[in-house]
Amino acid sequence: MSAPSRIMAHLVAYYPDRAGSLRAARGLADGGCTWLEVQFPFSDPTADGPDIQAACARALEAGFTVKDGFVLVAEICAAVTVPVFVMSYANLLFTRGVGRFLDECHAAGAYGVIVPDLPPDADEGLYAEARARGLAAVPVLSPSISTERLCRAAALDTEYIYATLRAGTTGPRSTVDEATRRFLSSIKEARTTRPAKILAGFGVTSREQVRALESHAHGVIVGSALVREIAGGGDPYALLRARIRELVRP
Amino acid sequence: MKRFNDFFGQFGGRYVAEMLRAPLDELEAAFLDALDDASFRDLLALTLRDFAGRPTPLLFAENATRELGGARIYIKLEGLAHTGAHKINNAIGQALLAKRMGKTRIIAETGAGQHGVATAAVCARLGIPCRVYMGAVDMRRQKPNVFWMERYGAEVVAVTGGSATLKDAVNEALRDWAGSFRDTHYLLGSALGPSPYPDMVREFQSVIGKELCGQIEEKGLECAALVACVGGGSNAIGFFSPFLESETPELIGVEAGGRGTGVGEHAARMNGRGQPGIVQGYKSLFLTDADGQVLSTHSVSAGLDYPGIGPQLAHLGTMGRVRFLTASDAEALEAVKFFARMEGMIFALESAHAAAAVMRIARDYPAESSLVVNMSGRGDKDLFILARAMDAEPWAEFLREEAAQ
Repeated sequence: MSAPSRIMAHLVAYYPDRAGSLRAARGLADGGCTWLEVQFPFSDPTADGPDIQAACARALEAGFTVKDGFVLVAEICAAVTVPVFVMSYANLLFTRGVGRFLDECHAAGAYGVIVPDLPPDADEGLYAEARARGLAAVPVLSPSISTERLCRAAALDTEYIYATLRAGTTGPRSTVDEATRRFLSSIKEARTTRPAKILAGFGVTSREQVRALESHAHGVIVGSALVREIAGGGDPYALLRARIRELVRP
Repeated sequence: MKRFNDFFGQFGGRYVAEMLRAPLDELEAAFLDALDDASFRDLLALTLRDFAGRPTPLLFAENATRELGGARIYIKLEGLAHTGAHKINNAIGQALLAKRMGKTRIIAETGAGQHGVATAAVCARLGIPCRVYMGAVDMRRQKPNVFWMERYGAEVVAVTGGSATLKDAVNEALRDWAGSFRDTHYLLGSALGPSPYPDMVREFQSVIGKELCGQIEEKGLECAALVACVGGGSNAIGFFSPFLESETPELIGVEAGGRGTGVGEHAARMNGRGQPGIVQGYKSLFLTDADGQVLSTHSVSAGLDYPGIGPQLAHLGTMGRVRFLTASDAEALEAVKFFARMEGMIFALESAHAAAAVMRIARDYPAESSLVVNMSGRGDKDLFILARAMDAEPWAEFLREEAAQ
């Protein structure tokens, strides 16, 4: 028997509502995820597909504010033992001030941050400021990246790197093929300091995809599939605990 | 003016997820390479002349001048360009560039539909399949433009997310492009978005200002100010472009004052109403709440209700080179009526905001000086909105009869 798979499980803060998102986080943790990614909803989530867009819109209608988001993150961090990453879009950090946003992440007990539209070299100081606070900022890299930019991103020496398995937005199923494997190994090769923990995501919905990826990545990110799981109603805790159990089972 | 700036003061930049970096880097290189190529410039000039119908005239608005008093009013008739607005200038430039890059599909966003119509027409002519994203609210407001886009062979896709207007159409086009950039060019219609779009759109729209320079000289005008409406700002930045680095004439941008100053009642981002933000790939001034969530907007014109402003105009406004005014929905409608009666010209509702500002400020300028207003589009597309506002019951009766046929 092999070990259970390592999964970063995604949820949207305040989706389906505040209490529901807290239950979702606990369900994901109790189901056996290794990390939690809590997305702070933004009005214009350009990197997300329809499922997460709809969830973000609903979360904003449910009254999400950044201040309340950090209170929720603190409650999640107190309730689970796995590391929690806050994911959002540039404008929520920029408006608050990147430094202040990261201070609040840190105070809430988050382990790191993921901001896809603040890539290395257009990051408004995100990577340096996160490092100064002991927070793990996770660059999001994609297969279309140039070798030069890949080397520059690798040289940031971050603990984790988020690798999107394909172009496009979150949601539609990705295939794990030779090109995917080449991309993941190119990230490993670009890193000359310590090995990066590569988290592979975008369009992962099944146990088979998780299995196919785990020998090439440190962990696998599951997002839209989990949002879809609770879109139809029902108790997020029970639904997500069951879904993660199925995805991680040895 | 440098043709590639990336940043304009603190605004601009290329804040996109990594997957869009490569296509934007490729686009920047291809754009600069094309501008250096005399054969591309010749083809662009020829297409602007023969297909778009350039140059567009500069008309002395003699009756309006007499009626209003003050400065002599001139109208740059961009609305006489093919497809009815300045949007064709940029659509031709970018479509020729896309073809040169070997792209086989074009996508675009549209608000009022003028950019969509221009893109669809150019794509029809060049034989390139075209998809246009348009907010569902805008499709209803600008149904005639949807009809024309489809006649040109474009696929018009309704965007229902968010406010179902221009910004949401931009989001959807960016999402499409993130997955399709290998064979697809995103033909963005305004001078905003991630670099190189603000620079590229300005360069392709600068033909308006360059023509104007010649026309001012030819007519011997003492030009006191140029006035243009500003949604994202492509007509304004193209109109203003030859004058950005000089101190004269005065440059005036007119934003949508809508129906009030409250949240969701207007789309005026300058003069302290917008705050710095990073949205849709660029840093500029946006109408956002305290957290940075983008707020809803309103304007009677679908082309001016975008919550952000092109980064170069945000910079020029902050520096004081461009003065920003607003015109309300009601003032814009009045301006449409006024110039129709006075000059036989129907301004598009967007451009009518600039015309409304001119009506307000003409008397502030001496009689020997001239104000030039850019009629960035003509108002044919606004028939249904104008008819409802100006002639509601007879029009409704006509529509009922028409529907009964």
